[in-house]
Amino acid sequence: MTSAKPVRRELTEKQLAFWMLLPAALLLLAVVVYPVGRLIYTSFFDYSNGPLNPPYRGTGNYQQAIHDPDVWNALKVTLQYVLITVPGGMLLGLALALLANLPYRYKWPVRLSLLLPWSMSMAFAALIFAWFFNSDYGVVNDILRRLGMTAPNWLSSPQLALLATSWAIIWKTSSFVALILLAGLQTIPEEMYEAADVDGATPWTKFWQITLPLLKPAIIVALIFRTITAIQTFDVPYIMTSGGPGNVTTTIAMLIQQQTLQYGNFGYGAAIAMVLFLFSMIITGFYLRHIQGDS
Amino acid sequence: MTVATQALPQGRSQAQRRARAWIWLAALIVVINGLFPLLWMVLTSLKPEGELSRLPITYLPNHATLQNYATVLGFDATNPAPKPFWRWFTNSVIISLSSAFLSVLISSLVAYVVARLNIKGKGIIMGTVAAISMFPLITLIVPLFQTMRAAGLLNTYFALIIPYTVLSLPVCTLMMVGFFQQIPQDLENAAMVDGCTRFQALFKVVFPLAAPGVFTALILAFVNAWEEFLLALTLIQREDMRTLAVGITLYQGEFSFPWALISAALVLAMVPVAVVVVAFQERVVGGLTSGGVKG
Repeated sequence: MTSAKPVRRELTEKQLAFWMLLPAALLLLAVVVYPVGRLIYTSFFDYSNGPLNPPYRGTGNYQQAIHDPDVWNALKVTLQYVLITVPGGMLLGLALALLANLPYRYKWPVRLSLLLPWSMSMAFAALIFAWFFNSDYGVVNDILRRLGMTAPNWLSSPQLALLATSWAIIWKTSSFVALILLAGLQTIPEEMYEAADVDGATPWTKFWQITLPLLKPAIIVALIFRTITAIQTFDVPYIMTSGGPGNVTTTIAMLIQQQTLQYGNFGYGAAIAMVLFLFSMIITGFYLRHIQGDS
Repeated sequence: MTVATQALPQGRSQAQRRARAWIWLAALIVVINGLFPLLWMVLTSLKPEGELSRLPITYLPNHATLQNYATVLGFDATNPAPKPFWRWFTNSVIISLSSAFLSVLISSLVAYVVARLNIKGKGIIMGTVAAISMFPLITLIVPLFQTMRAAGLLNTYFALIIPYTVLSLPVCTLMMVGFFQQIPQDLENAAMVDGCTRFQALFKVVFPLAAPGVFTALILAFVNAWEEFLLALTLIQREDMRTLAVGITLYQGEFSFPWALISAALVLAMVPVAVVVVAFQERVVGGLTSGGVKG
């Protein structure tokens, strides 16, 4: 017994590290590395006649994607979601964080208002807002009618569907941004504001000269994660509008899901997924470069 | 502005009163923004179905009822549950708990290597973790679907547990590295002097001391899995194997939207996560900021 233990303890640090990293490595191999390989492989085959022995198609799927107006439309819609919901969620989140950071005697109601939306599923938020924007019985149109305005058909209007779905995404994601930024705000030492007060700084200059620069690391973290999730926008338009009316809210992620699960067109779906992959690589690459340049 | 108000006679108390009014207003904005959509869902769930299709819409229910909850849960003998809510609930609990435990276990091992062992290549490990956290998992639905189908794992818990484990791996690893670094190395050395192997020291000394961190990581991983929509929609297609996040969206028919039932189901699906998150809010907020989670 006692002689067995020292032997086992002779695992070198390297060996120990190997065994401890093994489960994670195997998992990533199975769920990320192998699927990426399979994705690239699949994108060169033609599945339009069923999944059995699909014929090789070369770059045919990619050529088809480049000439497919649906792909271009989905890229445009995805970009619109990124450009609307990322700044929207960041600004609302920043505002909520600043408001939540004020000296309240009872902090829990404010904190609850950030935590509950964060803890709920995006799919649930989508359902709630679908009911909010219901043209006849929704609360948004009821308020508009009471104010004497026309009550539009939010989710079936080509102009408004993008706005209504973006609103749901902004509401849901701003809670995450606010929680991250709130933690950042709480690390800013009070003395810095006191010193600025002595110099007679206005709240406005204090915000621009102290708060924003010191909040920058937290803002960047939130921005990166928000952008990555915005590129993958799926749940909200899928639930609120099914990509409609027409295809004004059909994102790249929805197109991939449609091609593969509804039409069984794995090869084509894989090629579009590669397009999305490149799209997100470009954006994260841009961010990482920017961050490295800064530090 | 502040300078001007302070220069007034009785300026102090007036400025204070004004500041307090602003603080109240700020709190009101945050609370209404965060909680009104949720409150609206609760109010909707308490209204009989007929009251929802009446104009003008009612804000507070005219005839509050728990009928919708009874129907969703199958407690109403005359009116069978339209969807297998309990089954979906159980599925979600099993999948979320299993993937959360797996994720925390595997990421703890990785975190231990990074925090404690004297090896080269830690930069590569953390770089991989960061890359995984930014990886657009959505692009892998095609190969994951193919692989799961080939392995006969579609419509099993396994199909979701494995990818969800990866989903939470980055945030759990980042959190656990932070927690391990706070535990004094001496405690572990002492345990090993007393005859523990390194693994025993890990499970008997380090893990118990890191328990608060482990617990926080578990909560975050659980919430991630509970909320996930796209993979759950893709890899599970049998109705009785669905998770809640997807199941909730299935109450609506092609042309019918039983919003009272949907609201009741939503409230029921949100309660467990909301209770956990609110009960451990300090830890959740702390955990969120140690690595950023997701939108």
